Amino acid sequence: MALPIRYSLRNALVRWRSTIATVLGVALVVFVFVLLQSLATGIEKSSGNTGDPRNIMVMRKGSTAESTSLISRQNLQDIRYFPEIARNAAGEPVISADVLVLVNLPRRNHGGEANVLLRGVTPRGKELRSQVHLVAGRWFEPGKREVVVSAKLAKRFANFDVGQSFKSGSTTLTVVGWLAGGGSAFDSECWLDADECRAIFERDMYSSFLIRAVDDAAGEKFIQRIEADRRFKLKAELEVEYYRKQTMTAAPIKWLGNFLAVTMSIGAVFAAMNTMYAAVGARTREIGTLRVLGFRRRAVIVALLLEGGFLALLGGLLGCAVAFYWNGYTTATMGMDTFSEIVFEFSVTPMLVAKGLIFAVVVGLVGTALPAVRAARLPVIAALKSL
Amino acid sequence: MNLPGFIIRNAFRNKRRLALSVSSVAASLFLLITLQVALRELTNPISDEGSSLRIIVRNKVSLAQPLPARQLQTLERIPGIVAVSPFSFYGGLYKGDEKFTSFAQFAVDPARTQLLLADAKISKAQTEAWIADQTSCIVGRMTTDRYGLKIGDRMQFTGQIYPCDLELKIAGIYHGTADDRNVIFHQKYLDELLGNPGTVGTWWVRAAFAAEVPLVTERINRAFANTSAEVRAESERAFVLGFVSMWANIKTLIGGISIVVIFALLLVTVSTMSMAIRERFRELAILKALGFRRRELFAFILAESFGLAMGGAIFGAGGAWVVYHLLNIQKLTSGLFIRFEVTPRMMGLAFSVAALLGVLAAIAPMLTVARTSVVQGLKTLD
Amino acid sequence: MAAPENIVTIRNLSKVYAQGEIQVTALDNISLDLAAGEFLALMGPSGSGKSTLLHIIAGIDRPTSGECLVQGVDVTKLNESQLADWRNQNVGFVFQTFNLIPVLTAFENVELPLLLTRLGRAQRRRQVQAALELVGLADRAHHLPKQLSGGQEQRAAIARALVTDPQIVVADEPTGNLDSHSAQDVLGILQSLSRQAGKTVILVTHDPKAAAFGSRSIHLEKGELTR
Repeated sequence: MALPIRYSLRNALVRWRSTIATVLGVALVVFVFVLLQSLATGIEKSSGNTGDPRNIMVMRKGSTAESTSLISRQNLQDIRYFPEIARNAAGEPVISADVLVLVNLPRRNHGGEANVLLRGVTPRGKELRSQVHLVAGRWFEPGKREVVVSAKLAKRFANFDVGQSFKSGSTTLTVVGWLAGGGSAFDSECWLDADECRAIFERDMYSSFLIRAVDDAAGEKFIQRIEADRRFKLKAELEVEYYRKQTMTAAPIKWLGNFLAVTMSIGAVFAAMNTMYAAVGARTREIGTLRVLGFRRRAVIVALLLEGGFLALLGGLLGCAVAFYWNGYTTATMGMDTFSEIVFEFSVTPMLVAKGLIFAVVVGLVGTALPAVRAARLPVIAALKSL
Repeated sequence: MNLPGFIIRNAFRNKRRLALSVSSVAASLFLLITLQVALRELTNPISDEGSSLRIIVRNKVSLAQPLPARQLQTLERIPGIVAVSPFSFYGGLYKGDEKFTSFAQFAVDPARTQLLLADAKISKAQTEAWIADQTSCIVGRMTTDRYGLKIGDRMQFTGQIYPCDLELKIAGIYHGTADDRNVIFHQKYLDELLGNPGTVGTWWVRAAFAAEVPLVTERINRAFANTSAEVRAESERAFVLGFVSMWANIKTLIGGISIVVIFALLLVTVSTMSMAIRERFRELAILKALGFRRRELFAFILAESFGLAMGGAIFGAGGAWVVYHLLNIQKLTSGLFIRFEVTPRMMGLAFSVAALLGVLAAIAPMLTVARTSVVQGLKTLD
Repeated sequence: MAAPENIVTIRNLSKVYAQGEIQVTALDNISLDLAAGEFLALMGPSGSGKSTLLHIIAGIDRPTSGECLVQGVDVTKLNESQLADWRNQNVGFVFQTFNLIPVLTAFENVELPLLLTRLGRAQRRRQVQAALELVGLADRAHHLPKQLSGGQEQRAAIARALVTDPQIVVADEPTGNLDSHSAQDVLGILQSLSRQAGKTVILVTHDPKAAAFGSRSIHLEKGELTR
């Protein structure tokens, strides 16, 4: 038979001053864990959210990133009339050839410089990426040195307001509008006219092609055809797949989050141990009485574990709450996949919160284990004799 | 029995807990030192004597944008420059590596790199063999050791940035530079594979005098202003630091983590001391009743707390020093770090942190002992 | 009138324990009989073993040799688990230091022993109410121990001791921490338990005035019965 739960809960709350160290310690551990993981999740979310499942991206075989891929006009001619590619109303194949350029630009407020991804895109390219739409200003006109930058990037880089201009090398580009990518990788890009891009940056090669397949089956056929043909030296994959695979930035952050959580939890476990030893020490007579009344050792252990677990849970809730303050906060880092600055939001998901809380409780239980066993081992009489 | 003996005997009363707390302190300090060393290695660029004379010239647009090869003539004529060579980062995947290759490959004009590679120790015969064979390369000793390569072996690379693959023959092995990992081959070989596009990645320049480097970079920048390919020339050091600045907040991140680790450490030491003293309450009250003064009791507590912290420091910081001294960090991190040196300053930092913690952890127990009367103390059960 | 049954039968009970390297004899060959409804006062100086004897009868300590039968059950032969259950049903404890659980109300404290039984919530409530009324604490049922006076706390403890309707009530210096007025109250309650409710009460005390409440007194000295 167990001791009532309220016994554990009330005991946890009644000595709050001496339990602060534990609650804060656990809160800190959970906070760091959730924060770092939400960073990684935010990065993954933005790349996971990118792309249209009907689109297929074509790049040079062996390239790991669109920005370093180089494919030729000839390649375009070779594949543009493949039957698997959908046709628009005018009977033209829905295929877009993009040029990606990395441009080193200054951040606002003297925040140093970073690479920004510029995408030279054709009107078809815009259609294929329906996630992207204009939120301020207007789209660029072909033949002009105009660029539409991501609204999120505009907050971070100098001269990105609508109407402003910035220099890249010797070229001046004017910002005519802001785009929003709907929480995808496109939120870290700036778009301009493809031909202008090639002229300015002296590119006669393209970076990638994006095609709309007739249907899923046709899409698979297309991919196989490209992969199989050795002449082309191209590779094709679903657009969503390409973006989903970009884990190089998030992975080390996740690892760091786990590593820190585990190492720091040692401190939290010690704090919990200390608190519970104190509790047991202060309540030896109480515990003895419970044993006299007939409660088994087990019941005492469970009651103490509940108490420690509950304290740790409080700490976990506190840690999650503080981490949640950062939820939705936009920040940026150098993406290791594209080598350009990627913007994303901290994403504190329910799953993360759950993980954090479970972790907290486990820490509490581990810390309480030894004191609980000690309490249970107290000989009944010695407990009664204490003054 | 003397005082130190008494203290030590007391400390060893609960061996399991003592072991636990000392190892936790040790682990945290080990982590702290590792973080500080990593930070230092990541933000202080590799430098040797030559690097203070070398300048990197890149396209002003970005590092990813190439430069026209014809710029060479202009560069040669700039006063204050003693050597110029193409310097293109190939960034390929070495055959056999799965996801990434931890050593770099650069294309240069070997005939022009004598001064630029002045730090590299390599036999004259090997250098000449390299210059003579356009499909050859020289490789840093760290890489040849790691992969067990020797002169005459072939190395294959898949292009990840450039649309071509390389097959190079090792003509020479060098060592003595700050980064003995790199593979250096012929720009002409790369040009041919690419169909002679007439571009290079960056220019590698050596100035005549270190004091003149700012002046020379200024001259270079001006020389190409308002051309179709404007440049950004900067000292090699500034160039490497620029990379780190792209990682934006790594200093803050590591700094933040260090603080957090210290806090966790504090929790451990304070909790341990609290537990230890709570066990001794009765004893301490008896000592008080016997006539020991508060001062002496404080000394007991402080000595034990300090001992715990220092013990942890010896194992943690000392351990880190030993481990990083003995381990081949380069191998372990696949070349992410070349060197991982625990400096005396860091050891000092770790020991100071430990000492401070030792003192802090003793405060609460000392206060409790001071406040509790003898009678109360005697009533405590143990 | 039939002879009252012996609730407690003790034969040759001894308790020796080791304190470091010394053997201490707490009880030396005690034999004793206790009838139902008796109010026994166990007296003696400190260290005489009276508490030890009480603990053995109550099933919270074991003798080194001898037997102790309570209502026919040899408590010296029960294992820990069985003893715990036995205590719950058959013995009520009253301590000098009250030993109420600080975070539980008087009601919840009294209810504790019932949580080890299979009784339903409503039934438990009824029994707790009855016990509290018996000791005159019904109006303070939902107060925490720190909100009760010493005398009220001890009365709550007595209610707790009675709630499973045990045959035996043991009290170890129950008035030691009370003022004389409350002490009288408590001793009176214990007396009525024996006289009216027919319970067997064993009181350990060093105070002759408290012992006078009992129906019988025995003395222990250095582990032996002297009178």
